[in-house]
Amino acid sequence: MKHLDKPTAAKGPFEQTRRSFLKGSAALAATGLVLDGARSPARAFAYEPYYTDDELETVVTSCAHNCGSRHMLVAHKKGDVIVRLSTDTGEYQGDARGTDTEEKPQLRACLRGRSYRARLYSAERLLYPMKRVGKRGEGKFKRISWDQALSEIAERMVYIRDKYGPQALVDQSYAGASYGVLHKSDQIEGLLGRFLGMFGCRTSSWSVPSYQGTTFSSRITFGTIEDGNEDDAFAHSKLIIMWGWNPAYTFHGGNTFYYMRLAKQRGCKFVLVDPQYTDSAAAYDAWWIPIRPNTDAAMMAGMAYHIWDNDWHDQEFIDRFVQGMDEGTMPDWAKGQESFKDYILGKSDGQPKTPEWASEICGVPAEDIKKLAEMYATTKPAALKASWAPGRNAYGEQYNRMAAALQAMTGNIGILGGCAEGVGKGWHAEAVAYPYDQWANVWYASIKSDRWAHIVLNYPNVTREEAGLWPRNDQWDGVVPNIRGIFWQGSDWFNQLTNINKEIAAIRKLEAEGDKESLFVCMDSTITPTGIWADYLLPIATHFERHDVALPWYKGHYYIHRPKVIEPMGESKTDFQVFTELAYRLGFGPAYNPRATRDYFWNPDPVDEAYLKAWWEEKVMHHQHVTWSWEEFKKRGVYKFVFDEPHVAFRDQIEKGVPFQTPSGKIEIFSTTLAQITDWTKTQYGYPIPAIPKWIEPWESLNSPKTEKFPFHMVSPHPRWRTHSIFNNIPWLRETFSQELTMNASDAKKLGIRTGDTVEVYNDRGTCVVPVYVTERCMPGVVVLHEGAWMDLAEDGTDRSGNPDFLTLDEPSPAGAFAYNTVLCDVRKTDRAHRPGWDQLATARSAVFRRDY
Amino acid sequence: MANQIDKAKIKASVERLREYGYPKVEPEMQLGFIHNNVDCIGCRACEIACKDKNGLGPGPRFRRVQYVEGGTYPEVFAFKINMSCNHCADPACLPACPTGAIWKRKDNGVVDIDSTLCIGCRKCEAACPFGAPQFDPEDNLVKKCNMCIDQLEAGRKPYCVEACMMRVLDIAPIDQLRDGTAETKAIGPNDEVVDQVRGMADPDLTNPSIVFVPHSKGKVKS
Repeated sequence: MKHLDKPTAAKGPFEQTRRSFLKGSAALAATGLVLDGARSPARAFAYEPYYTDDELETVVTSCAHNCGSRHMLVAHKKGDVIVRLSTDTGEYQGDARGTDTEEKPQLRACLRGRSYRARLYSAERLLYPMKRVGKRGEGKFKRISWDQALSEIAERMVYIRDKYGPQALVDQSYAGASYGVLHKSDQIEGLLGRFLGMFGCRTSSWSVPSYQGTTFSSRITFGTIEDGNEDDAFAHSKLIIMWGWNPAYTFHGGNTFYYMRLAKQRGCKFVLVDPQYTDSAAAYDAWWIPIRPNTDAAMMAGMAYHIWDNDWHDQEFIDRFVQGMDEGTMPDWAKGQESFKDYILGKSDGQPKTPEWASEICGVPAEDIKKLAEMYATTKPAALKASWAPGRNAYGEQYNRMAAALQAMTGNIGILGGCAEGVGKGWHAEAVAYPYDQWANVWYASIKSDRWAHIVLNYPNVTREEAGLWPRNDQWDGVVPNIRGIFWQGSDWFNQLTNINKEIAAIRKLEAEGDKESLFVCMDSTITPTGIWADYLLPIATHFERHDVALPWYKGHYYIHRPKVIEPMGESKTDFQVFTELAYRLGFGPAYNPRATRDYFWNPDPVDEAYLKAWWEEKVMHHQHVTWSWEEFKKRGVYKFVFDEPHVAFRDQIEKGVPFQTPSGKIEIFSTTLAQITDWTKTQYGYPIPAIPKWIEPWESLNSPKTEKFPFHMVSPHPRWRTHSIFNNIPWLRETFSQELTMNASDAKKLGIRTGDTVEVYNDRGTCVVPVYVTERCMPGVVVLHEGAWMDLAEDGTDRSGNPDFLTLDEPSPAGAFAYNTVLCDVRKTDRAHRPGWDQLATARSAVFRRDY
Repeated sequence: MANQIDKAKIKASVERLREYGYPKVEPEMQLGFIHNNVDCIGCRACEIACKDKNGLGPGPRFRRVQYVEGGTYPEVFAFKINMSCNHCADPACLPACPTGAIWKRKDNGVVDIDSTLCIGCRKCEAACPFGAPQFDPEDNLVKKCNMCIDQLEAGRKPYCVEACMMRVLDIAPIDQLRDGTAETKAIGPNDEVVDQVRGMADPDLTNPSIVFVPHSKGKVKS
């Protein structure tokens, strides 16, 4: 790979600027007239001018964000303007309108998806490249040309790489613009990773903020993260235990929530283990078991004890499929080491993990632990859905592994109506249409994702275990990166990672060394709280403005075509266009985007079409035996696979004896990999992890002495009215829900707080200001503050938006789980103002869907 | 997009009203809503679909998913009541309108507002016991759900119904919803429907065209 010392001067494509611009404005003038033009005489029923759906052009597309689902959106457009959105009606694949069967359900979009038009045309849209003119975080930018932006970025990249080495730039691309097959933002398959890897300067971020505990557990226990059943399998359970799981908020799969309704109609019983009585509990009429946050593994251990105590376990299943559940299933090489049953019965530590023992820790009465254990062990089939949130904790991976042990000891794995999730990835989609080759995911350092600020602030006095460095086999093994910049692509991580105040300190430290010595680039379609801290803002086309195909997220088996519904707004470009043009300037354009020429920056359509057509024909048609042609797929807009029976993870392992993908070929409750590690500092984990699931006391919880100073445990689940931080600026959504601190009524009474009062939530790490919602639906001692509010700093550093990550700790669990839910805090009434949005006028804008040129 | 006010047209309508009064419309068929209070997860996709369909800004909410909760920790309950306009058999809004802008359709019983006659006086808003008419300050008009009349005329269901992820909101002829002959996923195999739930105004006031699958705590004792 040839790297030029200096970026090449901009020629060629940029000469087209004037001509393209003129062409664009002419086209717009023409379409702009459409809305204002004369209309047929007013009809009485509605507000004129009013276009019915039949008077508009219909284009099938999908929603696009990092939420856990993927649904159809249908754009109804006039000229180049989307007038409204609808969703799947069952007709697009060729069936009658209204078709909605259990095998082929409609993919109906949620409230976030339905609000997309407000995001597309929001006042926060970035329309031009911008360069920072104030201090970082001050929010002062000026408009510059693409040519200037890309030249300056390329120049700074070369300077930083040459001076600070191939680890200096951190890839913080994430899933904010992902789940297309072509335009990907992702750590492993993403466009940015391949770009920085080819450039020869990349530190990647390996731990997944939402579910690294679960990812670790699934890989260690089952050897794969594809441990999920498809959503229709839930309709066949007799018992569903929602452990920290709220599908009424997260949706999690195309129709999971709906299939659970069908299960309820067929007599399935539901249980919710959660500090909150959620809308899921209400809709499924669940037995609510409130539990102290971050004590889930202890309760599960108590359940395991009770199941063995009563001989309710499935010994035949254990003997055939499980390693290390008990003495008899320990591998020969580890005979005499502690099995899971030894641990539960207290053979080595002298402490039997009885329900009474667990009750002291988790706050659930021992009788309830026993009752749930009996229900789970004696109802067949039963789904223990161990969700991600309780794993976002100190030692969160132990909770996930403990859940896997319960699933295995009751034989609920690989059977319809059971559940081995975990991560919960179901059907395997063909996910990549862009070049995925030896340059994909090249990195020179890979860190635990929330450690970048810690590394910057303490460099060079940082150990490899603090950074969570992934091991390598070359001279870069164990070398802690000298971080000099970040690329944020489809990512709002500055707002979303833990301990924001530490991130601010890190960015200030780099700033103090002079502008030239660091580089922060934010690529997004709107301004974001992260973008405020960037040096360059690059306007990225939304998925309505580029050509792609949507994949289901975790559950569902379908592809949705995403044509370019409208032309990109302003001067926005796709990520792929930006990286291709940057690659040309840095000397590796043709290798980066082999189907393109440099003209791609101006005309990406034929190249995108070629990638997608090849993906469809070589992967979907060839591997998945779909007979529709690419043209047919494009015409219909959606392809739903129909299965003979619901897809169940590990069915082949259980029914046909196919080995699991673990070292032993079994479900590893005793992990071969973990048991054989001798030097933990040389692993990506950095610190020891037991070979069997164990309860490990977290560093903060309602059981710790720190509660004297900070008596409340704060959890920060995923909200329903945002996808993480995306859509926080949408007035429609803000009208339906508020950012608020949920608090139990008895706690509120003690503090003299009523619903609507504004409070400061604080601990040693930070403070945020937010109104309170007082309810009986939350466990005493626990407060709930949903993640993703757009930070809004007061002069003293207090956040006025109610962003919980000003209080979270940036110390991940050994396995990499973010400790988002391991937070003690206190609450006090305040006279300070909460600011739900940056702009007081935000609530008056969503009616105005005008293209601003 | 505010309408240009046609004063002559409004005047003519007011005079027509004085002369003929409000004729009671007996629709050939009355459409109504069904909402399952228990199975609804309260996601409000219906509300956003409605906003988008009708081009509304923040403020006016044709459809309102109301959250009801109660009990004392840990014995708590929660359910949802989802309502827009109930297209009543005897709409209170209709005679409240001084310009005759509100009218009821003969074919399907939908109650609608002729926005070219609305003067934004908000009397209908005050008259409705269910809070259906919504004032839009941007246009200085009162607007409300018309059951997506353009969709009905095209043989399709309203946007809110087609948006419902849980399939708990639907429309059908109200008689069929009441006597259990309507085909709808909103009603489960063991569900009963009722005309009123707790906290809701007395249906005798206007005879609203809506039924619910009630929560056990939402039932009205008769």
